[in-house]
Amino acid sequence: MSLFVHYLSLPYLIEGIWFTLAVTGLGLAGGLILGLVLAAMQLSRFWVLAAFARGYTVIFRGTPLILQMVFAYDALPQIGLKLSAIGAAGLALAANEAPFIAEMLRAGVLGIDRGQVLAGQALGMTPGLLMRRIIAPQAIRTMIPAFGNETVSALKNSSLASVISVQELTLRSTQLASSTFDFFSIFFASGLIYLALTTGVSVIQLFVERVLDLDRPATQYRFARLLPWYRAPLALEPITAGPVASTEARSDAVVPFAAPVKDVKASRADRTKRSATLTRNDAVVEVNGLYKAYDSQPVLAGVDMTVRVGEVVALLGPSGSGKSTLLRCINHLEGWDAGTVKVGGRRMGFREDGKPLSPRDLANERAMVGVGMVFQQFNLFGHLTALENVAGPLRWVHGLSRIDADRRARELLERVGLSHRADALPRHLSGGQQQRVAIARAIAPNPSVLLLDEPTSALDPELVNEVLEVIRRLAIEDGLTMIISTHQLRFADEVADRVVFLSGGSIVEEGPAHEVLTNPRNPITARFLSIMDADRPTAAPA
Amino acid sequence: MMLENIFEDARNFLDRAGFARRSRHVAMGAACLIALGISGQAQAAPAGCAALQAKYPAWKGKTLVNAINPHTPGYEAIDPKDPSKYVGFDIDLGEQIGECLGFKLTYKAVTFAALLTTLSSGQADIVISDIYATEERAKAADFITYSKVFDGVLVAKGNPKKIDGINLSMCGAAAAENTGFVEVPLVQALIPQCKAAGKPEPTLQLYENNANCIQAILAGRADTYVNDVNTVDQAVKANPDKLEKALAVTIPYSVGIAVPKDKPEFRDAVLAALIEVQKAGIHMDLLKKWELDVNNFKEPDILSVK
Repeated sequence: MSLFVHYLSLPYLIEGIWFTLAVTGLGLAGGLILGLVLAAMQLSRFWVLAAFARGYTVIFRGTPLILQMVFAYDALPQIGLKLSAIGAAGLALAANEAPFIAEMLRAGVLGIDRGQVLAGQALGMTPGLLMRRIIAPQAIRTMIPAFGNETVSALKNSSLASVISVQELTLRSTQLASSTFDFFSIFFASGLIYLALTTGVSVIQLFVERVLDLDRPATQYRFARLLPWYRAPLALEPITAGPVASTEARSDAVVPFAAPVKDVKASRADRTKRSATLTRNDAVVEVNGLYKAYDSQPVLAGVDMTVRVGEVVALLGPSGSGKSTLLRCINHLEGWDAGTVKVGGRRMGFREDGKPLSPRDLANERAMVGVGMVFQQFNLFGHLTALENVAGPLRWVHGLSRIDADRRARELLERVGLSHRADALPRHLSGGQQQRVAIARAIAPNPSVLLLDEPTSALDPELVNEVLEVIRRLAIEDGLTMIISTHQLRFADEVADRVVFLSGGSIVEEGPAHEVLTNPRNPITARFLSIMDADRPTAAPA
Repeated sequence: MMLENIFEDARNFLDRAGFARRSRHVAMGAACLIALGISGQAQAAPAGCAALQAKYPAWKGKTLVNAINPHTPGYEAIDPKDPSKYVGFDIDLGEQIGECLGFKLTYKAVTFAALLTTLSSGQADIVISDIYATEERAKAADFITYSKVFDGVLVAKGNPKKIDGINLSMCGAAAAENTGFVEVPLVQALIPQCKAAGKPEPTLQLYENNANCIQAILAGRADTYVNDVNTVDQAVKANPDKLEKALAVTIPYSVGIAVPKDKPEFRDAVLAALIEVQKAGIHMDLLKKWELDVNNFKEPDILSVK
């Protein structure tokens, strides 16, 4: 026992810790840099880079670290690269850690909800911006436990540097054991030192997790969380003060807009006048002969459509009829096989000479032309508050100052009835609230056209109305140009100027909303409408 | 307990020999004079060394790297009292040669099997680490031989398997050896002999250093460990109630200093310096200092194969 204490406090062993930490530090830092490069290559659009990264991963993940150490130490000098022992050990450990770290990074990036990426693209964020502002902040949070693991494993793996004469803890322990024959006292002592080091790593990991925790716990939990027996509560409390019920009541109270429900006859007269005005307006969206197929199965079989300034178009049709695809083609979130799409007179996604734009240039064009998009699944940025979801893209993409962006965001949250939830994270909002934030986010940069892809389909029935109310106000009060794919026939009748009915990738019928909805000419439209009968608007009494 | 043994031995020895910088304050006076007499550290380099430094000026004032496998107390191991230092016969001899040629040595601790690769990769300049100079190894490095080899057979107390050397008595036994040791092929060569005699084959357990081989016997995993007799004696001294030396056997090799094959001038300089060190009686003094058998003494030769 006294020998054990003697070795535990022996400066010779304690100093060995520095070598252990130096090799571990070099290995992790180098591995992180190399891992970032590898992960970027694997995720790259260029297959040669991806293949190279794969090859590297196969080799360095598939050979023992001890061989890599000996290689870095004894073989590299043959080609004139003579590193110090610590340098060689650090290099080998970095080369070995890199594929593991790259896989962690890749899993973290791929783990981010694809919808958030689409939403970011639709907002005109370049790939770099998306990575920096949306993907990385969320991926890093999910990767911290894996990083903790990797650090502990690197720390233990650094002991293999003993074979290439790095004076780290293991080498010093074995040497000491050889010269004193106190085998067990020494190895218990060095084992305890390793344990202290790995415990340190765990503490740092928990600390970083806590600092980055979006649902920062109340003060009394802060230290309790560091204890090993602490378990996070399963149900997360909303962070706003006050009981949930009153919050809901408040939000509901805000939504219904002040304008009285339209008189049907008055609106009929208005509509005729309105449609006459609209036909004189410029076209915002012009789709010509749009054709797209998956495996020779056409999803869009030659679609022609023009939407004019201020017009609200409802896209109807059964699931799989091509509504979503058409919307995604309009802002070039998806490519197509033939035909043209022009927004504001520009061919989105193509250069003057007809060649496709790079993702970065396409993003800039989206931001410039201004096509807002609202998704069925809301696709809010999960790590940002409601306010930041709206204000962030304004700053990053459109260069607004923080003050201006926040002011605009607060204005819009107020309009969608959510100013009291500005600081809430998306996961603490109801579906309807999330979709209202998503709408605020989409209209924040004043888009020339807003695309809404089944904006209420993912909502519980009781939440549908609050979202429809918001959209209705945008159409009526703001005169915003909109293309909405929806199954809400009554809503389409109230809000849309025109209905476009898609089936099997083609437009089978289009015309003034009320007319098509009440008197369909095409049998497919008629059948669809009769199936959806419950929600069908009735012909206005004479 | 074990540690105290070693310290006790070391103290006895130091009192007798009166050597070492650290114990100078203990053994003042007469002992100090003896120390001056036998320790090259304290005395000027042998007379012929000045001429050698003039003839081989390339290494004067340099610091060279000596790759060692510091797991053999007596030859090379860390100093239990000051683990930042390496001590032993080989360490002292290397420093005497360095003194003679005007260079200093730093040490690089590697596994036994990595000694020569470390040298040939240029990560070390010289290897003085109780390594036997064999034809096979001479393909990787040139050797300047300086010591004869006597092996001891380490067994558990009472020698339950009655092993008396690398011979048919080892059939069916488990032998612990260091990776890369010359004893490994000798034990392997026993396998067909045992078979021919209708006896079970011996098995080999390979470890990374002496301490692990000795632990294998202490743990009952191995029956014997054949290595340099001094190493075996040290192990017995540390565990007198658990281990014993069965026998000393002669092995037809010499211990050598390894130098890179592509530096014949360095090899010749080391050879010349070793001759001077031997002429001055220092080599013999060091054998006594480290309680090694003076019969180990050998006039140097060069072993170099194409």
